[in-house]
Amino acid sequence: MEREALRRLCLLNQLSLTDTQKDDVISFFAERDADTATLDAIDTEHVERMVHVMPILTVVREDGACQPFSREDLQAGAPETDEGYWCVPRVLE
Amino acid sequence: MSIYMMKQETAEAKAVVVDDMFLTTDMPTTAGSKMLEGYNSLFEAEVLTRLKNAGYAVAGKTKVGEFGVDLLGETCYFGAEYEGESLQYPAALAVKNGDGKAAVVLDVNGAPRRGAAQSGLVALKPTYGRVSRYGTIPVACSGETVSVIANNGTDCREVFCAMAGHDSKDGTSLPESMTEQGKAAVNKRNKVAVLSSMLKGVNEEVQAKIAAAAEQLSKNGVEVVTIDAQTVAYAGAAWNILMSAELCNNVSRYDGVKYGYRTKNYTNIDELYTNSRTEAFGDFLKSAILFGSETLSTENYSKVYDKAMRVRRVIRDDMAAMLADCDALLMPAVSTLSYDRTLVERDKYLPYKENFFTAPASITGFPVVVAGGVQLVGNAFSEELLLDLAELV
Repeated sequence: MEREALRRLCLLNQLSLTDTQKDDVISFFAERDADTATLDAIDTEHVERMVHVMPILTVVREDGACQPFSREDLQAGAPETDEGYWCVPRVLE
Repeated sequence: MSIYMMKQETAEAKAVVVDDMFLTTDMPTTAGSKMLEGYNSLFEAEVLTRLKNAGYAVAGKTKVGEFGVDLLGETCYFGAEYEGESLQYPAALAVKNGDGKAAVVLDVNGAPRRGAAQSGLVALKPTYGRVSRYGTIPVACSGETVSVIANNGTDCREVFCAMAGHDSKDGTSLPESMTEQGKAAVNKRNKVAVLSSMLKGVNEEVQAKIAAAAEQLSKNGVEVVTIDAQTVAYAGAAWNILMSAELCNNVSRYDGVKYGYRTKNYTNIDELYTNSRTEAFGDFLKSAILFGSETLSTENYSKVYDKAMRVRRVIRDDMAAMLADCDALLMPAVSTLSYDRTLVERDKYLPYKENFFTAPASITGFPVVVAGGVQLVGNAFSEELLLDLAELV
């Protein structure tokens, strides 16, 4: 992991790191890369991916009428609201 | 330092404690993170509703490490718990203190099993899909499982039975027909296999626990054999990839807009997102998010993430083949029964190594019981059999 690649990764994940944290993450990645490389010892060429550990698909439940939460309740934990809207800075400059 | 985020008096004779990964309507839920400090849910986890319907009361919420991915809660924003210099798992301490018949916890990366092993308690991580995850904080959804820690197998069984069963609100909840079919297919072989490949790196104390468990099983008429199953030893590396990738996706929802922490330091929307996440997430979590994101990148998806999913199948097939011939696989849950403060602070990425022992059950969804400081991993739906075996060790 190069510093520039890490900078891009941080940008994608909306995180900012100090120089010390960057060094720390780079050494963490080096450990994980070594760890990951060990998996090459297992031949998986003709093995199917296992997404679910149990043989089920994510099911869709039956439609049913229910009382939704009110806007007031949903916004009770919001950092900032105004007249029923969530507030954020201008998105378009 | 308290082991609780919140504790409440209860008049009910039957009480449980839950960890801070379960949504509750009468107490905040934080997942051990500054990001969710003071967060109040509008609904509660399905397992809590079921436990209440069965006459249980919730006596409190114990602390967890940030999003439950660490060793024993050392990354909790609200403080880690040490006894002397030894790191402790809050939910296990609550059970030891007698605050409830059991602790109901979310096993994301093995912390509950490490806590139970360290404290000499019994823990049950059921077959994936047998207990609803509706209303738990999602982290590594393909493997995390609602689990129980108690003083003994009887209490574990009782609490597990009260909360198990199909839940239409959880898309990964197993239908009752599949559970009944699976339970009926479990055959008692009276045989347990020690996995020698999983003994590497454990200290003498843990080795002695494995030897003692094998001896106890033997004395009680169980045949104990040793198997050198190399593929199982790759579960940790594969689970680290899958867990981090799923974690990265699941915590992407925390952006400081609709709920959770919002920075005061922003002038535009990008700064709001970035500064909120940067200020609220701990260092360990940030590293895990970045690693997870990297495994999902165009460059790495095939050679890392996809590979891990294929390795997952190899491990599951190999373990299933072993379990066709025996009741359980005996292996350590930890490398040491005490995590010293110096060790934890020196190597903050220890959870990524220590889960070498807990990942086989996490990545395969097989049930596992911790008792006598060791793990017994069984075939799908063999919880009853595992709890019976646990009484012998």
